Amino acid sequence: MKLVAIVGTNADFSYNRKLLEYMKWHFRRAAEIEVLEVKQLPPFNEDLPYSEQTEVWRFNNKINNADGVIIATPEYDHSIPAALKSGLEWLSYKHKTMKEKPVMIVGVSYGTQGTSRAQQQLRQMLLSPDLNSNVLPGNEVLIGNAAKTFDKNGFVTDIKVVHNLEDSFAAFNRFVKSNMRYLEEGDDNMTEPHISSEAKVQFRTGSLKVKEIQQIFNTLPFEIDFIDDTDHFAYYSDKPNREHVRHPSEIGESVEECHPPKALPAVKAIMDSFKLGTKDHVERCLPLNGHKVWINYYAVRDENGRYLGTMEFTGNVGHLVNLVKDGKFDGFPDATSGASKHDDDSEATGPVASESADATTGASEHDEENEDKTE
Amino acid sequence: MKIEAIVGSNKRLSYNRKLLQFMKNHFTGDEIHINEIKDFPMFNENYPDGEKDHDPELVTELAERIEAADAVIIGCPEYNHSVPSALKSVIEWLSYRIHPLHGKPIMIVGASIHPQGSSRSQTHLREILDSPGVFAEVFPGNEFFLGTAKTAFDEDGELINQGTVGFLEQCFEGFKKFATEIDDFNGVK
Repeated sequence: MKLVAIVGTNADFSYNRKLLEYMKWHFRRAAEIEVLEVKQLPPFNEDLPYSEQTEVWRFNNKINNADGVIIATPEYDHSIPAALKSGLEWLSYKHKTMKEKPVMIVGVSYGTQGTSRAQQQLRQMLLSPDLNSNVLPGNEVLIGNAAKTFDKNGFVTDIKVVHNLEDSFAAFNRFVKSNMRYLEEGDDNMTEPHISSEAKVQFRTGSLKVKEIQQIFNTLPFEIDFIDDTDHFAYYSDKPNREHVRHPSEIGESVEECHPPKALPAVKAIMDSFKLGTKDHVERCLPLNGHKVWINYYAVRDENGRYLGTMEFTGNVGHLVNLVKDGKFDGFPDATSGASKHDDDSEATGPVASESADATTGASEHDEENEDKTE
Repeated sequence: MKIEAIVGSNKRLSYNRKLLQFMKNHFTGDEIHINEIKDFPMFNENYPDGEKDHDPELVTELAERIEAADAVIIGCPEYNHSVPSALKSVIEWLSYRIHPLHGKPIMIVGASIHPQGSSRSQTHLREILDSPGVFAEVFPGNEFFLGTAKTAFDEDGELINQGTVGFLEQCFEGFKKFATEIDDFNGVK
């Protein structure tokens, strides 16, 4: 989701600007937020030659390409600042940039009102025919006592304010997505992820809510794809900046559908070996997107060794490589230790390897269960 | 009565300017001076660039005229159901370092090419003028909305509809009475 956030003032210092920078950071997993300034726009005037207004054109363009708009307004004289009003006038002149655009209004003030009157007027302006925006109903974010609300690093210090922002942003997130569906009906990519379940899953080692499971997977520094035991693409973790970009529409595709024909034989060979149990792990090192990308395929099995599916575990390991280069691991136990045995390629483990001298690790013991099948 | 009128638009062609010019010519017993806002810089609390020390000359000049006047009339267009940024910017200047509108009787009139005649904009303007930084004395009721302004004036700038003229006269007389009484109420200056 791509959002733009408009700083509603031309002042050099602004708590509303701080608020948007904070939201950009805090909601970075949900949306890519670009903060826009009205300062560089000329004051609105119909007599100015429109074709020469490059900044207005750029401003218009950015908003046009966004899925939604956040406006942070200060309050000047019970209304929004003229500088912000001027920006809105540009957006409703010659073009209908704001038409049906989802808009969320937030505001910070020094006093206790938190820009309540300005927001009221702004709502009315946004509903006028030339703007005609889809303003998020309710979900007011009225932040007062600005000077006490932010710490020196720009973080909001009041947990009530944080929760107010999170709740309102979650509502806006849904609002924008339903608007996207409305604009591009029939597009499967717009399927809303199912995240809000409070249901708990009980494991032997503890319990997690469904939402927690999802977010743990999304927070891992490696991205995960999962192909189930019927060879269909069943799941991917929604990690930001994935190396392999996936879309919800690909879910349910067969292995044949989701791999290029050239790669298919190798993929099938890996999966066949996983099903047989001859291998548990295959790794690849690839340059991808300018990154050092480490790809691992793991056989996922139940307690009895039955194949449940294949997990692809992929990540940019540039940072780890640099740590090694910088000598951060110098003087640590070297490759002859037990820890490294676990890292040995799966080809070295297995029933045969388990009989050899160095196959004393837990990993190889696990494979003994498959002895019958492999022979 | 000495009145400063403000054209709330920065456009070359403005029906609010026409309306104020009509009032100036029509109410010959009073001295109405028309002020333009198109050259005012956008309000910025850091004006000039990065500093906070003084207002633009145009602002201080207008403020001086307002201080010297008995009352103010604002001709207010409607952009996006609200006050044009150009006019809002001037009010921000007049409520930042200096407050010449404090206690000043203000009459709002408005013209628009649509039937509503800037009604929503005038409601916003009332709220704005009523805020603590401005603290103006806005003439209550007497809403003068000149709708379908394109066809309202003849070639000489006269309002064609005599009913409209009559209502404007009634509003203006009421405003002058209000301005006098408000001055009494405020202890006169």
